[in-house]
Amino acid sequence: MERIPILKMGPFLLVTIQVDMHDRLAMVLQDDLTSMISRTGARGVLLDISALEIVDSFIGRMISNIAAMARVLDAETVVVGMQPAVAITLVELGLSLPGVRTALNVERGMALLRDAVRRADGAGTDAGADAIAAALAGEEDDGGGDAPRGPRGAPPA
Amino acid sequence: MTIPLLTCALATEHDVVLARQRVRQVAALVGFDAQDQTRIATAVSEVARNAVQYGGGGQLEVGVERPALPGAPQHLLTVIRDRGPGIPHLDAVLGGGYRSPTGMGLGLVGARRLSDRFAIAAPPGAGTTVTLAREFARGAPPADATTARRLADALAEQPPRGALEEARLQNQELLRALDALRERQAEVDRLNATLAETNRELEETNRGVVALYAELDERASYLARLNEVKTRFLSDLSHELRTPLNAIRNLVRLFLDGVVGDLTGVQRKTAALIGDSAEGLAQLVDDWLDLAKIEAGKTTVQLAECRVAELFGALRGMFRPMQAVQAGPAPVGAWNDRGVPLVFGPADEIPPFLCDEAKVSQILRNFVSNALKFTERGEVRVLADADDDWVRFHVQDTGIGIAPDDQEQIFEEFWQVESPRQRQVKGTGLGLPLSRRLARLLGGDVTLESVPGVGSTFTLAVPRRPAGEAAGAPAREGAHADV
Repeated sequence: MERIPILKMGPFLLVTIQVDMHDRLAMVLQDDLTSMISRTGARGVLLDISALEIVDSFIGRMISNIAAMARVLDAETVVVGMQPAVAITLVELGLSLPGVRTALNVERGMALLRDAVRRADGAGTDAGADAIAAALAGEEDDGGGDAPRGPRGAPPA
Repeated sequence: MTIPLLTCALATEHDVVLARQRVRQVAALVGFDAQDQTRIATAVSEVARNAVQYGGGGQLEVGVERPALPGAPQHLLTVIRDRGPGIPHLDAVLGGGYRSPTGMGLGLVGARRLSDRFAIAAPPGAGTTVTLAREFARGAPPADATTARRLADALAEQPPRGALEEARLQNQELLRALDALRERQAEVDRLNATLAETNRELEETNRGVVALYAELDERASYLARLNEVKTRFLSDLSHELRTPLNAIRNLVRLFLDGVVGDLTGVQRKTAALIGDSAEGLAQLVDDWLDLAKIEAGKTTVQLAECRVAELFGALRGMFRPMQAVQAGPAPVGAWNDRGVPLVFGPADEIPPFLCDEAKVSQILRNFVSNALKFTERGEVRVLADADDDWVRFHVQDTGIGIAPDDQEQIFEEFWQVESPRQRQVKGTGLGLPLSRRLARLLGGDVTLESVPGVGSTFTLAVPRRPAGEAAGAPAREGAHADV
């Protein structure tokens, strides 16, 4: 059965949705992601929906659910790369995705996650978390430009 | 007026994805901008999901609605129908107060917000029809049949599914085809096994039949050998018996003629009885010998011109002395002591024919002697008639008759009908079989009609032109005409 791949990146999980999901696939992703969080103890989830051209109420609810469940499991969720047309449609649809943090692209999303983790761990006193964050930041700087599917968060037209 | 552009079935959630992708493509192709493409596709996605989830599947139709008035904007029209039970709390749903257990209760409301025109018809039990319309951008080229064709071509070129999805579907189809093939193979194997089984059974049957045939052949040749032996035996025996029998008959005649001295009344009677018995035995031996000769194929047919009147005359002469002389030397047919007359029919009308007179006479003698034996009152009639091909002789009696079951058996050797009368009269049991064989030898046959208690009619039919004489027949016919 087809699945959306979930990549582990340090303390974070990276999910890039590259296909138009049917409803069951969305449910499977929700299940996979929650079990992955509990297994790895991930502190954050980066949900890249830059490839999604349509987000209807069901997928919207799924994104909301993922964020809510992750929060219960002590992980922050950031949705990145939403296309402007999708964003406008969501608003027109009446979906505001309450409790879901968004960022324009993966880079900003990562920064957001790191900040959140640092704040949660005690305002930067934890050296270990800093080290991890620093390492991640380095990685991000090295590989960000060559990523095969870079952040597509273009500013709204 | 609406120009139809696309129709697609909605049965599974994959179809929902397909529907929104197709609609998005159509929207792009007819000139909607990215934002509107997303709006239209999202609205369709909401309603299509409802149709699949609650409506038990349905259908999506996409078309362009041409404006009624020139200059007015045209619309992209999407109609989604399902076969579900309708929507029971439509007002609540549309009012935004309803919260769906699966979505956010925003499907229909959202679709309405995303459309320029929205209509829903949900009569209970008749399915739900949702119509969504989106206005074309100002200045968009008017759609017509050409647009529809162009769209169809473009849609065919753009597979709505990703390559992965495509591969997955193809895989599934392959697996299904493989399964079907495997089933067919199994079916063929089963059929083959059945065929092999049938073949084996047939072979066994065949072997059995062949064995039976061999056995039958063996039996047949055994019987043929047996018959041959019997015929030779009978023939030999008859010859051996004839010599002493003739001696007895001649000696008795010498006694009766007084050559060896005068006899007393008792002696004469005794000698006559010995003579009777010897005559009977001689008759039996003669019949035997004739039968044996026929079976051995040694009997020859001597054809000559016959006249029915002469035949009748000879027969009459043969039986008259026995009618007159009670203790005559020839006991055959000596049973008309009961006063049963022998009557001959007219014979002058029948033209002469080609035949073996001795054999015809022998057969008729058998018939008459039989008839006289089994007739106690009434009469025995001998008649003849003829047509172009056959001459027929009938011997009618008013005797005891023969039951239908026995009518064929009396033509078998040594077979005699069980009856009180039968026990009183003597016979060899060879007369009728011999008659039939002789008749067939002549190219004719013997038949019998009989009603028990009323009488019997034996008929001898002989051909007027026997097979061997066919070539000479016309000339002979001419000769007959002269007579």
